[in-house]
Amino acid sequence: MKFDNIIIGGGLSGLTCGIKLAEQGKKCAIVSSGQSAIHFFSGSFDLLGKLNGQEVKNPLEAIKTLPDAHPYQRVGIKNIARLAVEAPQLLDRAGLQFSGKSDQNHFVLTPMGIMKPTWLTIDDFTRFEQNDVFPWKKAVILNFSGFLDFHTLFVQDGLKKYDVDVQIKNFAMKEFEAIRRNPSEMRSTNIAKVFDQGEDVLNEFAQKVNQLSEGFEVVILPAVFGLFTKNVVTDLKSMINKPLVLIPAIPPSVPGIRSQILLRKRFEELGGTYFLGDIVEEGTFKNNRLVAVQTNNHGNIKLEADQFVLASGSFYSKGIVATRDKLYEPILGLDIDGDIDSEKWLDEKFFNDQPYMHYGVKTDSGFRALKNGKPIENLFAAGSVLGGANALKEGSGAGISLLTSLHVAEQILK
Amino acid sequence: MNKNISKEYDVIIIGGGVTGAGTARDCAMRGLSVLLVERHDFATGATGRNHGLLHSGARYAVTDHESAAECIKENMILRRIANHCVEENDGLFITLPEDDIAFQSQFVDACKTAGIGTEILDPDFARRIEPSVNPDLIGAVKVPDGSVDPFRLTMSNALDARIHGAVLLTQHEVKGIVKEQDRAIGVELFNHETKQNVNYYGKIIVNAGGIWGHHIAKLAGVNINMFPAKGSLLIFGHRVNKMVINRCRKPSNADILVPGDTICLIGTTSERIPYDQIDNMFVSRQDVDVLIREGVKLSPTLATTRILRAYAGVRPLVAADNDPSGRSISRGIVLLDHQERDGLSGFITITGGKLMTYRLMAEEATDLICKKLAVDKQCETAEKSLPGAEKSEHPLSIATEKVYTGANISQKSAKDRHGTLAKNILNGDDYEDSLVCECEGVSIAEVKYAINELHVNNLIDLRRRTRVGMGTCQGELCACRAAGLLCESFEKPGKAKDDLANFLQERWKGMLPITWGEGINEIQFTSWIYEGIYGLKPDNN
Ligand SMILES: Cc1cc2nc3c(=O)[nH]c(=O)nc-3n(C[C@H](O)[C@H](O)[C@H](O)COP(=O)(O)OP(=O)(O)OC[C@H]3O[C@@H](n4cnc5c(N)ncnc54)[C@H](O)[C@@H]3O)c2cc1C
Ligand SMILES: Cc1cc2nc3c(=O)[nH]c(=O)nc-3n(C[C@H](O)[C@H](O)[C@H](O)COP(=O)(O)OP(=O)(O)OC[C@H]3O[C@@H](n4cnc5c(N)ncnc54)[C@H](O)[C@@H]3O)c2cc1C
Repeated sequence: MKFDNIIIGGGLSGLTCGIKLAEQGKKCAIVSSGQSAIHFFSGSFDLLGKLNGQEVKNPLEAIKTLPDAHPYQRVGIKNIARLAVEAPQLLDRAGLQFSGKSDQNHFVLTPMGIMKPTWLTIDDFTRFEQNDVFPWKKAVILNFSGFLDFHTLFVQDGLKKYDVDVQIKNFAMKEFEAIRRNPSEMRSTNIAKVFDQGEDVLNEFAQKVNQLSEGFEVVILPAVFGLFTKNVVTDLKSMINKPLVLIPAIPPSVPGIRSQILLRKRFEELGGTYFLGDIVEEGTFKNNRLVAVQTNNHGNIKLEADQFVLASGSFYSKGIVATRDKLYEPILGLDIDGDIDSEKWLDEKFFNDQPYMHYGVKTDSGFRALKNGKPIENLFAAGSVLGGANALKEGSGAGISLLTSLHVAEQILK
Repeated sequence: MNKNISKEYDVIIIGGGVTGAGTARDCAMRGLSVLLVERHDFATGATGRNHGLLHSGARYAVTDHESAAECIKENMILRRIANHCVEENDGLFITLPEDDIAFQSQFVDACKTAGIGTEILDPDFARRIEPSVNPDLIGAVKVPDGSVDPFRLTMSNALDARIHGAVLLTQHEVKGIVKEQDRAIGVELFNHETKQNVNYYGKIIVNAGGIWGHHIAKLAGVNINMFPAKGSLLIFGHRVNKMVINRCRKPSNADILVPGDTICLIGTTSERIPYDQIDNMFVSRQDVDVLIREGVKLSPTLATTRILRAYAGVRPLVAADNDPSGRSISRGIVLLDHQERDGLSGFITITGGKLMTYRLMAEEATDLICKKLAVDKQCETAEKSLPGAEKSEHPLSIATEKVYTGANISQKSAKDRHGTLAKNILNGDDYEDSLVCECEGVSIAEVKYAINELHVNNLIDLRRRTRVGMGTCQGELCACRAAGLLCESFEKPGKAKDDLANFLQERWKGMLPITWGEGINEIQFTSWIYEGIYGLKPDNN
């Protein structure tokens, strides 16, 4: 089977790279073994939230001071500024409305009731422009009784810092009796499914919310709406007679799953081929070029392409693997940027900057992956499989994934 | 709840390990008024950091006859009085090609002398009854070893002490011993919760501080020379073996594989450490290497089994000779009457021994206390079952009796964990049945029961009581759910956030030496959830 481009990994990077290539008429395939980080995401994409322990106000400015090896530096500051505008437009064409500015972080309210800086936020959630002001003074937090994955007390505690008078109310609805009876069913995706099924439930729910929130300025709810379509969220907002603030629940994330579904749908509508549940096992190299990859489901049928993109994620997605004494890239045996000495991988404090978080595939300045010290001409790496940054500490996770993947797509299109 | 408690007692017991809890129970059952004080939580010393082997005594049969005889006697008693804490798995002592098969007959003879039943098995038969065993074995002997859950055993003793009137204070650290001339008359405590100092008075002060007993004795002005020997262990993610597997040779490193609940444990190493290191329980990569290398000889599948955690404990041995490994020292019970030994009355030390022999240790200590207080009452702990054991005569009187019905996963797991006490876990209501921890089947009701009745102050305590966060997911999401519930019982929710952060750090400590493969993938996931999405910090207030 022959494609123009094959992308290994169908997370945020693989999908956005594939969409951009397909939008430009490339015949693309994505091979993805399974769940990606986007299943769990908070609803916001970070560009740069922290630098040297300090909160960043203007990510575009702050990026200039990052070390040379950082993926952003390799993309180049000018390109970053441009691609940061392009990214939300690409998402928008997939039906995902994100808003925010790359030269000024806004804030979102985390499940711990903490204001966190970020770049783009999906429109389910509320953007706060300042981290020390909550615009309402009297708030009610509503939760489904028996739903343990939303921490009303933490949110209440967090909001106290902003002098907000917060009340918590739990309520039951007969539609949830069935899932409540099975002790492990009361999870956000199952609640979302109930609302996806019919308008009546949503109507009844909205009425209840309006009743319970009488006398309050704002309603706070867990983000358990709209697994397959955004309409549920839009409808709900129009039915509730006051501002609605949604807060992420314990993952998996309902808006995250919806984002994954819509991105994949967009890719396929553009003519892309998405092999779900297939695993790329190895590659065939010839003269510093990757000619084909073999996958688990395709057996002897090799998948060939002019260019390949490795977007297989970090340790969590098995894009990088550590065994007792070895660190490696498991699919193509690429060079790794990381410490050989396994004793150096981890820091003894959980909340410290963990060395392993910086590890990833080595590339040249054009994101061509290195194998045995030499760049493979037609193999690019993008997203969290790249090393050179601790995206967690920096608050740059999705930013690195989106911007490197769009940049790589441009390299291929050149 | 501790506001109106008395300041004076017959006995004050220092230490909430199994020895302290067992002694509190025995004293309370003999009608004494008892206060037990523990600096952290129950079972945070050696008791919560051991192998959980219900020794048959066979391990010591050749080298230490007295310990072997004590073990088999207590083994049989614990099967009776604490059957909810014991798994009667039996054990194998296997001989590998590299071992001397001649040791086997010496071993069997020594077991016989100590009263330990043995059965020599044909290697083929051994492979059949224990499929995980190293197939190269050339000899096998079956003995009545078992597994014991140290957390449950300690809590059952503590609960029974409370039922008999004892007062239990966790988070209370002894900072000094109050003396009047040559008599110990009380303890100076620091309350870690309130950060206040408080004194309590007792006719007899019992030092049951395990290895820390050395320091506690010093506070009283007497000297006990303790021998800190650190032992490391690994917990594997699933239960490989049905029976305990030992090497049939003189006790050595990493030669016991103990199954328990859904996991199994390989241990231990033994290393002498300086006394100032007893609170620094790290496990080195070298320890991990030895444990895996030797463990694989007992059961080859361990080579590919996921390791969940590594931890270490310190054996409370009282120095006797200069053996650098601390192994040929007697595991015997040490009961010191400091009046006779040092001229300090009102102060005794009970230490040494084993988890296995805690009851006997408690009995000997309580006998001495009764003699000193001229109380004439026989010990009954060998006959009366602990609360939670099937035939217990002491149903918990505190909670309203709710009938234990149905058999869903959480109820079954709760029954495994709390024995007949599970009936005190309210249920029947859908909300209370909701699962907090999916891998271990812990419900809201069980968490609430633990918070209300089992002296739970934080998430780490909760893990010890209910196994929340002990399963294969290692607490990724259940910790957060449990924190939400704990939050309801805290005055300040901010504390629950720090508590969650501490829990993650504590768990990290156990994973650090073994974090690779699935472990590193999961820790990355956990970090993204808690630090990335939730914005949790080490200090949240
Ligand atoms: C739990 C979690 C939550 C996060 N939340 C946020 C957030 O809220 N905001 C933010 O900015 N950042 C977040 N991040 C950071 C995150 O890394 C990036 O935002 C981004 O989503 C990563 O995308 P990716 O495509 O590079 O990698 P991934 O999402 O990891 O995707 C890699 C994909 O490759 C596939 N794959 C791997 N090996 C193979 C193979 N051999 N064959 C075929 N397919 C393969 C995997 O199955 C997976 O689908 C989060 C990370 C994690 C782990
Ligand atoms: C690695 C290892 C493996 C073992 N395996 C087994 C086994 O398989 N089977 C078996 O039977 N035995 C085993 N043992 C032995 C067994 O664990 C111990 O003998 C037993 O747990 C000791 O209990 P304890 O109550 O005396 O001491 P500890 O459990 O150490 O209790 C002492 C308590 O005192 C508290 N304390 C200390 N200082 C103060 C203070 N100032 N104020 C208040 N409280 C204080 C501590 O916090 C602690 O909770 C093992 C030991 C180790 C180290």
